Amino acid sequence: MSQTLSLMASGFVSALYPVNLLAMAGGVTIGIIIGCLPGLSAAMGVALLLPMTFSMEASTGMIMLGAIYCGAIFGGSISAILIHTPGTPASAATAIEGYQMTLKGQAGKALGTACIASFFGGLLSCISLYFFAPVLGQLAMKFGSPEYFWLSIFGLTIIAGVSSKSMIKGLMSGALGLLLSTIGMDPMQGVKRFMFGQASLYEGINVTCALIGLFSMSQALILAEAKIKQRARAAEFTDKMLLTGSELREIAPTIGRSWIIGNLIGILPGAGASIACFMGYNTARQFSKHKELFGHGSYEGVAGSEAANNAVTGGSLIPMLTLGIPGESVTAVLMGGLIIQGLTPGPNLFAGDTAKMTYTFFAGFVLIQFFMLGIGLLGCRGFAHIARLSDAILIPSVTILCVVGSFAIHQNFVDVVIMLIFGVIGWLARKFGLNNAAIVLALILGPIGEKGLRRSLLLSGGDPSILFSTPVCWVLIVLCVLGVLSPILMDRMAKGADKE
Amino acid sequence: MKKTDIGVCLVFYGICAFFLYMTLQLPKAAQIYPLCVIALLAGLTTLHVINMIISAIREGVSSGLDDFREFVPSQFFTLLAFIVIYLVAMPYLGFYVSSILFMSASLLFLRVKLWQIILSELVIIALVYCAFTLFLEVRLPAGVMFS
Repeated sequence: MSQTLSLMASGFVSALYPVNLLAMAGGVTIGIIIGCLPGLSAAMGVALLLPMTFSMEASTGMIMLGAIYCGAIFGGSISAILIHTPGTPASAATAIEGYQMTLKGQAGKALGTACIASFFGGLLSCISLYFFAPVLGQLAMKFGSPEYFWLSIFGLTIIAGVSSKSMIKGLMSGALGLLLSTIGMDPMQGVKRFMFGQASLYEGINVTCALIGLFSMSQALILAEAKIKQRARAAEFTDKMLLTGSELREIAPTIGRSWIIGNLIGILPGAGASIACFMGYNTARQFSKHKELFGHGSYEGVAGSEAANNAVTGGSLIPMLTLGIPGESVTAVLMGGLIIQGLTPGPNLFAGDTAKMTYTFFAGFVLIQFFMLGIGLLGCRGFAHIARLSDAILIPSVTILCVVGSFAIHQNFVDVVIMLIFGVIGWLARKFGLNNAAIVLALILGPIGEKGLRRSLLLSGGDPSILFSTPVCWVLIVLCVLGVLSPILMDRMAKGADKE
Repeated sequence: MKKTDIGVCLVFYGICAFFLYMTLQLPKAAQIYPLCVIALLAGLTTLHVINMIISAIREGVSSGLDDFREFVPSQFFTLLAFIVIYLVAMPYLGFYVSSILFMSASLLFLRVKLWQIILSELVIIALVYCAFTLFLEVRLPAGVMFS
């Protein structure tokens, strides 16, 4: 206990280093800009800026990526409120009440509510990060090869959950990712597999290149395929952004409820901020004393949606950091950030010197929320203008950043070609109902599962019963079954939210 | 059932066949895991084919081209060609020259105003130079013609 407290304290001291504060400010600003641009997503922004963190300390790099994540989730609300176009799917529910408030001349108040609710949602989500992550991490320390095999299978069952339209297509995407993850050297036999004569594929497909291609390059191609449209002009606003004491007291219970909803949804693999925002919004309406205002510009609705989607951020980091299982696309990209820093996501992040880095990141995540509040409140007017940036300018700009980002990994042109190939795969996958997040999850988890399976069988002399030999294995098997069933639960939750 | 799904399944079977052929070239012990994954992919694809047949019987067949309603082929393929030419030209012209040419060509094609073209190029080039050349010390391709 005392060791944890000292790690928490040293984490805050390290997080307050000027370089980390600079990373927070820069990350939040970039994140808000990406978030408020309709068409660009949080995952895309984090993937695009992943190479920028190569030369940084692991904790600073992770803080910057975390700041982009939080900033982008909040940033989506700016365009949702001012131009009735959610910058990210996480702000879809915010657009309902936020834009109505804009029409009533209360855009400032809507933005202020979004900012304050996002701040508290994100800040409260850090509590679960601090309390649950180390406990799960300690538990995972006891895992051996059979447990790691089942853990990766559990991660792969999440694919069923992240596949929103067709579960089979999601599973097919995952299997494709698994197949692509076999490219490179065989981990046990030392045989070259499917390397097409490219020495740079020795360690397999570079996950960062794949991430940049699947999330960022494919987005540029999506923007390139449709006729370029002029975006609506952002509404000018003159009203105050700060809420009064009584207004703050009124939205406090809403924020509390949305925090719990968002946090639980964040921890659940396969769910995400886009579901959380609607659930937060609906719950706010159910408990509101002014139900009649909903649909006509209720700031409680804005608070419910924004607190829930930002509460997802801290929760979603827990399975990724403790078990090495990214539950959705942004955490998969963040996991890529850890991997390129030479760190293995999972229980090792809570042991030895690496624990200092982890707690610095946690402390940074707390401070990021304050930066989000400050930058959000001060810069909303400026960000509103950026939201109008044309897709025509975004297409070549994003392409250039994808090219330079993938080249910077190993200063190798093959990586750029791989990125472009994954960009086209990602574009085709999105057009034909396949799932990019599933491909990435399988690409990351495939090698872990393969090593776990083959090492287990090597230890047991080929006896598969080793895979069922411990209680932890059985717990993980049950979780796998639940993982497969989770889409049905998610589907019901989404339908319930839609109905209401 | 969507007609486009037939193409998706054919591509997936093609991928399975290609990887199967390559796997059979590997030593026996190294074949097991890739074969399991190929079998999984082929099995899931077959399951999808069965689903498609059931759906075709129950609900009929649709083109599946709804997602391409706003697709502008001339714009998309021109921009894709620009990207490919940009990558091919980069080793010869270097990163900065090829990037400026790529951005200019793309933005002119998309009918962006001249002042916006100049401003966006300045911002992107400055951003890349500061972040990658100065901060990360990445040696971006200088180009055969300029080295």
